[in-house]
This record gives sequence, C-alpha cells and structure tokens, in this order.
Amino acid sequence: MNLTPIQKRAARKQRNKQELDMNLVSLIDIFTILIFFLLSSATEVETLPSYRAVKLPESTAEAQPKETIVVVVSGSEIVVDGRKVADVADVMKASDDVIPTLKAELELLSKRQVIRAKNEATKTAVTIMGDKDIPYRLLRKVMVTSARANFTDVSFAVRQRFET
Amino acid sequence: MRVRRLRKEVAALEVTAFINLIVVLVPFLLSTAVFTRLSVMDLSLPAQSSNKLEQLKANDLKLEIVIRPEALEVGDRIGGLIQRIEKKDGHHDVKALNTLMQTVKQKFPETKTASVLSEPDTSYEVLVQVMDAVRAGRSANGGTKLVRVELFPDVSVGDAPVRTKGAS
Repeated sequence: MNLTPIQKRAARKQRNKQELDMNLVSLIDIFTILIFFLLSSATEVETLPSYRAVKLPESTAEAQPKETIVVVVSGSEIVVDGRKVADVADVMKASDDVIPTLKAELELLSKRQVIRAKNEATKTAVTIMGDKDIPYRLLRKVMVTSARANFTDVSFAVRQRFET
Repeated sequence: MRVRRLRKEVAALEVTAFINLIVVLVPFLLSTAVFTRLSVMDLSLPAQSSNKLEQLKANDLKLEIVIRPEALEVGDRIGGLIQRIEKKDGHHDVKALNTLMQTVKQKFPETKTASVLSEPDTSYEVLVQVMDAVRAGRSANGGTKLVRVELFPDVSVGDAPVRTKGAS
C-alpha cells in the first residue's frame, strides 16, 4: 500500500490522536426541549407587572388581565403605574374615605387622551393589585377614591390557582 | 495481494458552540420565566352620578353574603337571613358557602348578581376567597366529571351592616 506523504501524515495523526469523546446527545436533547418550553413561556404577553412586595391572593378566576392603570397596594405604600402616591400608614390614620394624593394622580391620568377607539373602554378601568393581608378598610378607601376619580370599572388582580 | 481498505474517518459533530449558546440561554430564560399566571376579577362600582334609590321587587333575589369575624352570613335583602355558616378550624368555611350558593342558584337560575359585604377588618384574602365561592363552583350534576358552573358572576363589594344580627 503506497501512500502519498500527505496521506501518511493523516494516518499518523489519526493513530496518535487523543480524542475526548463525550456523549452529549441526551444533554443536548434536554436543553433543546427546555429552551423551546422557556421561549414559549417567555413570549407570552404580560400585561401586569410583578412586584416582590405584593403577595396576591389566590383565586380560580380565569379572566385575562387588560391593559389598564394599575394601582398597587402593598403593606406599606400605594403605587400608581410605578409612582408612589401615598403611605399606607398615613391613609389608615386618616378618617376620610378619599385618599387625596391618589385621587389627584388618577384624575391626572384620566385626562390622558385615548388615541385608538378600541382603547376607549380602558379609560375608566383600573386594576387593583392588593397584598392579601391588607384589610378591607384600606381596600374600600382605594375603591372609593377610584370611583370618585371616575374609574368605575374596578378589577382585582389575583394569582390563578388550578383546582384539581 | 493486500486488500486496500477505505480509510473511514469517525464521524464527529462539532457541537461546542451550540452547547455554549444553550448553557447561556437556559439560565437566562429560567431567571425571567414566570411560573405564576395572573388573572383578574371584575367588579363594577356604582358610578358617581347614580345615587338614586332603586325600587325593590318582591320576588327578586338580592343575595348578600356578610363576612363576620366569626361566621359567614348568607341572606337576601328582602327575605332575611338564609343561612349562617360558622367558622371551621379557624377559617371561613368557603366550601360550605359554595355548596349553599349552588342550591340557591338552582332556585334562582336567572339571578347573576350578589353582594359581598365585609367588615373593615376583613382581610383581602378572605374577601377574594368568598368572592370566588360566590362566583363559580364545581358540581357533578349527572355525570362523574366535575363541571365548572357559573353561579353569581356579577359580584359587588360593600360594607357590612353594623349590627350584631346582619343581613336585614
């Protein structure tokens, strides 16, 4: 068997090669499936922001969240669309049902123009994300305030629970 | 005569770049993944202008569920108290409430509205649980499979009457 010098070199290389042979097929399989699963869950549109400080109550409600103004009521403060408007401690102390700073903020937001006609319905809608431990007294104040500011379509954000 | 064999290279896939990509992507996507799904519960408040009194009708069900610290009181605004559900194991018995709601619904299939009235110190979680029990339930009517049935989906929220015996 006569080999050209190049072929000889290739053969020598093949003989002396120390190859690390790892069996990665199953790993790649798992990772690929995982990636598809995670990508499909990541592309789901998320309309409600998530806050660490707020533990939402669980419910079996199935309605999808709409894109509205979000009022977050945590254990310590009230936040409207990312801006803090009031401290819960102050609000609880006040005897009045209306929270003036929240009302001012909501009225400011309600003045915003609605460009697209299909978003007209969301003009009076507000979503309340309340911590599960807040008392009804506080929730009532928030609801009264939003009703006074002409946000009559109130919905509660909840964590979906699947019944077995 | 020597047999000339074909020299076959061992097939090898170059997957290092792919694995690198996957190893980076998996922790990133895992960190951003949301495992809890959020949904909303709708309720409508009366508008600012509608302050006028409504005329009550005699055979119309105005279901009211009053959340007391020690019990749940289910009543009709005209007919009075229907049932009082005592607390069980330190929690409000929402299962019993749900069963009761299903029997009430069978008597008044047309009614869709109900009011959940709570005291100032009722926690939001209890309120939501009670609303849940009033809105929908599961029943096995006829078959063996549990079917989700709609009970009183239009729930409104209000203040509990300040009396020891509620639901007047």
